[in-house]
Amino acid sequence: MAETWSLEARGLTKRYGGFFALNGVSITLKRGEIRGLIGSNGAGKSTFMDVLSGRGSNLGGEVFLEGQNITPLSERARRRAGLARSFQKTNIFPELTVRQQVELAARAAEEDNSEDVLRELHLLQYADRKAADISYGDQRRVDLALALVGHPKVLLLDEPAAGLTMGESLALAHLLRDLAERWDLTVLLVEHDMEVIFSICSHITVLHLGQLLTEGTPGEVRANPEVVRAYLGSAAA
Amino acid sequence: MPAATVNRPMPRKRLSAFPFVLIAIAVFGCILPTAVNSPLLLTLLTSATINGILATAVGLLIRHSGLVSFGHAAFFGAAAYVMVLALERTGISVETVIIAAIVLPTICAFGLAFVMLRVSGVAFSMLTLAVAQACYELVMRWRELANGEDGLAVKLPNRVFGLAVGVFQRPDSMFLICWIILMIVLLGLWFLGRSHFGTLTLAIQDNEERARFIGYETTVPRAIIFALSAAVAATAGVLFSLYNGFVTPDTLHWTLSGDALIMAIIGGARSVWGPALGAVVFFFIRDAAGGYTEHWPALIGITLILVTVAMPTGLSGAFALVRTRFGGARNG
Repeated sequence: MAETWSLEARGLTKRYGGFFALNGVSITLKRGEIRGLIGSNGAGKSTFMDVLSGRGSNLGGEVFLEGQNITPLSERARRRAGLARSFQKTNIFPELTVRQQVELAARAAEEDNSEDVLRELHLLQYADRKAADISYGDQRRVDLALALVGHPKVLLLDEPAAGLTMGESLALAHLLRDLAERWDLTVLLVEHDMEVIFSICSHITVLHLGQLLTEGTPGEVRANPEVVRAYLGSAAA
Repeated sequence: MPAATVNRPMPRKRLSAFPFVLIAIAVFGCILPTAVNSPLLLTLLTSATINGILATAVGLLIRHSGLVSFGHAAFFGAAAYVMVLALERTGISVETVIIAAIVLPTICAFGLAFVMLRVSGVAFSMLTLAVAQACYELVMRWRELANGEDGLAVKLPNRVFGLAVGVFQRPDSMFLICWIILMIVLLGLWFLGRSHFGTLTLAIQDNEERARFIGYETTVPRAIIFALSAAVAATAGVLFSLYNGFVTPDTLHWTLSGDALIMAIIGGARSVWGPALGAVVFFFIRDAAGGYTEHWPALIGITLILVTVAMPTGLSGAFALVRTRFGGARNG
C-alpha cells in the first residue's frame, strides 16, 4: 500500500508571462517532518509556498494534504483543512490585540488552543496589547501564532526568522522543533539562515530557478557541489 | 497532539462604562424637550439627530470596512421615497411600509455590495457617488413616478404604530423618538463592535488577506456591514419623511452624503458615537453661522480642516486621547 504523505506536491508549475517561477516541482513530506526549503533569491521558494497555500492560482500540478487533493480549494478552505502558513513579511492584524487575533483564528479553526499558543510563543504578557504596539520580533511570533492556532496538520513557514537576531532565530528554531514534536506538526520551512535550517531540519529541498535542484539530509545537501555552486557557496565549506 | 481546549472559558472582558454612559445620555435627551422651550431649537435638535443617525451609518462603514461612502444619501432617500410612494400608491399599512422602507434599501445594499466591494479606496467612493446620483437623476426625471424636483407629500394615516401622526411631526415628541432610536442604534453598534462578527470585520479591514489565511470568508461579512450601514441610513430616511411629511430629490443628492461624511469626520468615525456628535456640532455651526452669513458652508469647511489637521481622529478621538492620558480606558 502506498504511503500517505502529510503534504505532497506533484509537478507544481507557475508562470508569469513567459517566465516559469516554478517548473514542475514535486515534493513529499512525512508526518512530523521538518523540511527545509532553500534556494537563492528568485529560486521560487515563496512562489512555491504561495501555490501550496492557495495564494493565487497555479498553472499546473496538484497539492495533496494527507492524501486529500486540495488543489481546487481556496486558501480559506485549505486552512480549514489543516494547512496553515506564516508569511515572509509580517502579516498580522495590527489594530487588534494579540489575544483578539489569536482567538479569531482559533474560532475559525473551531479548536480553541489560543491560550496554549500564546503561552508557548511567550506572548501572554502582550496578549492585551495592540499588535501594532509590540516589537518586530514579537509581531513575528504573532504571525506564527496565527498559523499555529487550531492544531494545523501542516505548517508552511516563510522565513519566520527574517529580521531577528541570531539568538532570537536559534531560540525560534528550537521552539519550532519542540512544538513540531509535541504537537505532531509537519513543517515546511523556507529560511535563509542556514544555522536555523541545519539545526532543525531532517531533510532539505533545494530550489534553483524554479526547479528542484536536489533533496537530502543536511549533510548530503552541504556536500552537493551543485548546491554549493548555486546557493551555499563558500558558506558551506 | 495536545489535549483540545475547546471548552475552556474565554477570559472575561472588562466591564465597560459605555452602555451606562449611553443610558445616562439617553435619559438626558429625554428630559431635554421639557427644558427647552424654543420650538426652533427643538427642530434643530431633531434634524441634527436624524442626520446623526445618517452620519452614524457612514461612520459604521468607515470603522468596520475602512470604506468611505460618498453616496449614503441613496439609502436615506430610497427609504424616504419607498415611504411616500408606497403610502400613495398601495393600500399597505403604514407600519409595514416603514419596515419595507428600511428592509428594501438594506437588501439592495447587500446585493450591490458584491459588485461595489470589488474595488476599494477612491474607486469605491466614486461608485457610491455614482449610484446615489443615478437614484437622484431617476426621481428628478421620472416625473410620473416621483414628481421630479417638486417632490411628494407623505400621505400618512391618522395613527402610526398606535400614536397620533402629530407625535411624529411635532419637534418635541419627534426629537424624543429620534433620540431614543439614535441611542438604540449606538448601543446596537457598540455590541456589534464587541461581538465576534465585529472583531472579524475589523480584522478584515485591517488585513483581508490574512483573514482569509486564518480561515475566514471575507466578502460576505463586508457585504453585511455595508447592508447594516444602509439599514441605519434608511432608518434616518424613514424618520426624515415622517417628520417632514414631504420628500424631494434633495434626500438623494450628493450634498447630503457629503454632509454626513463631514459629520462623521468631525465627530470621528473610530468611535460608535463620534459621527452623531459630529452631526450635532455640524448643525449648531450651521445654525449659528447661518444667522450671520449665507457663506456658512465656508465655516463648516474651516472646521473640517481644523479638525482633520489638529484632531485626525475627530472629536471623539481627541476625547479618547485625553481619557487615555488621564488614565481612563477607551471602550466606546
